[in-house]
Amino acid sequence: MFGYNVTLAIKSMRRNPMMTALMIAAVAVGIGVSMTTLSVYYMMSGNPIPQKSEKLFAVTLDAWNPIRPFDSNKPELPPHQVTFQDADRLLALAEGKRQVAMYESSLVVEPRNEDELPFEATARVTSGDFFAMFDVPFLHGDGWDRSSDAAAEAVVVLTKQLNERLFGGKNSVGEWLTMGGSRFQITGVIDTWEPTPRFYDPINGGFQEVNEMFIPFGLTRSLELDSNGSDWGWKSEDISSFGDWLNSEAIWLQYFVELESARDRDSFVAHLDAYAEEQKKLGRFQRPLNNRLYDVMEWMDYHEVVANDSSVLLGLSFLFLVVCLLSTITLLLTKFIGKKGETSLRRALGASRRIIFRQQIVEVAVIGFSGGLIGLALAFLGLQGIQYVYQSPPGLIRLDWVIVLTAIVAAIVSSMVAGLYPAWRVCQVPPATQLKTQ
Amino acid sequence: MGIGPMVSSLLRNKTGPLLVALQIAVTLAIVINSLFIVLQRIEKMSRDTGIDVDNVIVANVRGFGDDFDVADSIRNDIDLLKSIPGVSAATVTNAVPLSGGGSGTGLRTVADETIDAASAGRYQWSEEGLDAFGIELSRGRNFYPEEVHYNLPTDDTPAPASVLVTQELADALFPDEDALGKAVYWGSMEQSTIVGIIGHMHGSWVGWDKLGSVVVQPGKPGRTTNTYIVRVEPGMRDGLLPVIEQQLGESNRKRVVNSVRSLEEIAARSYRRDRGMAIILGVVITLLIGLTALVIVGLSSFHVTQRTRQIGTRRALGARRRDIVKQFMLENWIVTTAGALLGTLLTVAVAYWLETSFSLPRLDWTLLPAGILTLWVLSTLAVIEPARRAASVPPAIATRSV
Amino acid sequence: MLQMTDIKKIYRTELVETHALRNMTLAVDEGEFVAVTGPSGSGKTTFLNIAGLLESFEHGSFVLDGKDVSHLNDDERSVYRNRKIGFIFQSFNLIPDLNLFENVDVPLRYRRLPAGERKQRIENALETVGLASRMKHLPAQLSGGQQQRVAIARALAGEPRLLLADEPTGNLDSAMAGQVMELLESIHAGGTTIVMVTHDPDLARRAGRNIHLTDGRVSDHHVAHLQEEIPRSAQLETGSLECSATT
Repeated sequence: MFGYNVTLAIKSMRRNPMMTALMIAAVAVGIGVSMTTLSVYYMMSGNPIPQKSEKLFAVTLDAWNPIRPFDSNKPELPPHQVTFQDADRLLALAEGKRQVAMYESSLVVEPRNEDELPFEATARVTSGDFFAMFDVPFLHGDGWDRSSDAAAEAVVVLTKQLNERLFGGKNSVGEWLTMGGSRFQITGVIDTWEPTPRFYDPINGGFQEVNEMFIPFGLTRSLELDSNGSDWGWKSEDISSFGDWLNSEAIWLQYFVELESARDRDSFVAHLDAYAEEQKKLGRFQRPLNNRLYDVMEWMDYHEVVANDSSVLLGLSFLFLVVCLLSTITLLLTKFIGKKGETSLRRALGASRRIIFRQQIVEVAVIGFSGGLIGLALAFLGLQGIQYVYQSPPGLIRLDWVIVLTAIVAAIVSSMVAGLYPAWRVCQVPPATQLKTQ
Repeated sequence: MGIGPMVSSLLRNKTGPLLVALQIAVTLAIVINSLFIVLQRIEKMSRDTGIDVDNVIVANVRGFGDDFDVADSIRNDIDLLKSIPGVSAATVTNAVPLSGGGSGTGLRTVADETIDAASAGRYQWSEEGLDAFGIELSRGRNFYPEEVHYNLPTDDTPAPASVLVTQELADALFPDEDALGKAVYWGSMEQSTIVGIIGHMHGSWVGWDKLGSVVVQPGKPGRTTNTYIVRVEPGMRDGLLPVIEQQLGESNRKRVVNSVRSLEEIAARSYRRDRGMAIILGVVITLLIGLTALVIVGLSSFHVTQRTRQIGTRRALGARRRDIVKQFMLENWIVTTAGALLGTLLTVAVAYWLETSFSLPRLDWTLLPAGILTLWVLSTLAVIEPARRAASVPPAIATRSV
Repeated sequence: MLQMTDIKKIYRTELVETHALRNMTLAVDEGEFVAVTGPSGSGKTTFLNIAGLLESFEHGSFVLDGKDVSHLNDDERSVYRNRKIGFIFQSFNLIPDLNLFENVDVPLRYRRLPAGERKQRIENALETVGLASRMKHLPAQLSGGQQQRVAIARALAGEPRLLLADEPTGNLDSAMAGQVMELLESIHAGGTTIVMVTHDPDLARRAGRNIHLTDGRVSDHHVAHLQEEIPRSAQLETGSLECSATT
């Protein structure tokens, strides 16, 4: 019976090709537009590290200006980054399962022979726990341990892309690179790793590309590395050397800690408070005690990673889908009314209301399915368009299987919902009255 | 046939017209609110920047190695740039307006840390900076060459004595007085004097409400990464971009040329979200209006076919062609008007949602009548052809049996 | 075969009540060929609709092929209608975008017969009406008479116990009407009970019994006199017309 229903549906659709095309177009455009915006929203609001997002915490400390809060719009919150001196000391205290202090910098990669040109590459300067803490997959070799941080060893982990560029993709572990005047030994090459949003540094862009390499945090002082990211200061300090800069009250580092349980979380906050109390004795941390932890999703919320525009587009595009469905309902209703004669005849020939209803719903589902497929193609084009107009990194926004499935199901379900009333109406056609005259 | 019977005919067969009215209503709500956002973004993007954006090239270079001398490198680069034919001015700068990256500061009129400071974008460039950006000084003077020094990270240079401020910042600092010649204080409580007023210029962060608040210090900032601003003769920019990149690259192998781009491209990147939003909503509006118009055409055509006999009968009973056209038009108008009324309510609801949930600015209500009128004209256009087809139904059809 | 007792049918609108059938009592025996006549508005169509389980009625009882169908719900009526009754309409009511084969297939589909059997039945039915060679044609490619023969094939394919015909020749010229009548007569000869509504006295006379309706009641009925009517086509069997009428 289902096969017969599908055949009848196609016959019926071919009877009014204009109308059918319009209905399919309505569903397709509605699905296309809403799935495009949904993909963007989904990408922005996604959990970048679902397996441990509740165990990873961004650390914020309030060592800001005693006179005024960091953000006058949210005076209750501590600043969103930490000072180098605090990061350095907390790292040394090593409380918690794992911790990283980090920032983005850049280095000039010097040519290894005459043919090559020097180029600038971005580096994440971070402590060695980074890789294990954020589940970074390795292609070759490994990261570095805490002793390398402490000893400020010049080692480097490359991304797959940079390894491709420098070594043609071969296992480069053990090779040497000259960068910023220093020689670095390669300890590892990571595999593709693109957490989206880039949760560990939303301050400097939630949807930037991952840095091209990773070097030990301990090198900051010896190589006098500058931060590429934003820095904020409140205190007028005499800064005439790099050392002065590192000892200043300027905030420019991100600090993350991995904690296993709620109890660990409490004891870590206590640890931070104890640290702050100690600093108060030294004349720092003059504001009320206010040290906070944010897990990954809280951190995304805090930084409003999902752009308002994206939410507005999502809302408007779902209203758009409503218009498309209204179109479909109207067209179906009109069409079914036009089929009164045939329905009446089929009823006379033994089709029950239920059979007629099912027949209409199958027809609507066929329209929904076709519309959904075309809508997916439109969404694909739409995403290409969005990538182009927003100049976002290639592959950042894509149609993943969740969206594909959602699109098809949404198309069929929403068109069936749209078809319910018309189908019900058509079932009310009595089997006899339409037969006298056609 | 008058309005009365028409309304009762619509009411008798109410679901179809009601749905069309509802569709028109939601369409109106989306179109008006989207159009408002689009217009706002366009307005934002087309603001006067005060800068000769079209004729400015921005080059970013980075030295490396132990023997790299920043001041030397800047001096040579500026000389090189100015020797290229078509280049009219060049400076090194700490940051690029409209780029999204820069430095911000707070200025006070008295040396008291407890009072609120006036926020401003902070720039540092040479006496050629104004020329290089094409920025107009409205009053006072530019920097003297002797006021401009190299400013290297290792130097502990005090804040320069002279600064330029924009009129907007001047008004924020000295609402009731002339700012020219007045002293201002930095966060470090060092003092500078306003020597010139820039009529208008934009700073770095295009989304900031203090975008037009700018203070400029004289200086040649030397960092690991240096940024040059190059003004070129009108029309020569695109030709000079590769020339500059090549010459900078060849002149010094101890230096990486990171990028040479037009300021126009950099600014476009800063506005890409706004531009993207405007484009996407523009597409949505177009699709929506197209769809609704097509649905009206489709429905009217279908009704004509369905009612052929009825129309024939009316014609047989003495209705003129234009009576039939009028009937279809009138039916459409009733539905559109009902949709527009409902749509007004919906538009208000959506506008309220956008305003409260996303702190978007309040809707410009003058768009509403314009939108309604547009929909009305469109739906009339959409129904003309089917109505004419209806009018051409011959009266004889009434007497035909099947 | 068909036993209606005291059936009433009233159509109500906001303003008027129309008594379409008033205490209709009627029986049709198995194998009969009954013509129902009557003036316009006498209740012919209502009678046919109720007989065909297309409409419900207010009062009375209705036994069809040994089963009381007075209180069946929509589904049950649909199934029973599909199995027992074949319809022939004045305006043929073929579905324009289905070809002949598919049109005849429509009632069989609702019976969920296996594909092979459906095919067999459709071919046989189209064979019977002489249109087997054109089963891929669309209705619009046929003449009116041929279309009505397709409609008859559709009615036959379900092997109904009762064939209901509503002015089957009303839209046909007299030559085609003759052919269709001959076809009905041969079907009747095969043992199918036929009830035909018509206003044409010539056609009515060819049936075994005439029932005349006036104002929603049976006002008169009589057995046709075979001797007076000579079938137009000599090769048709006429023996089945001899069966007697019961009231």
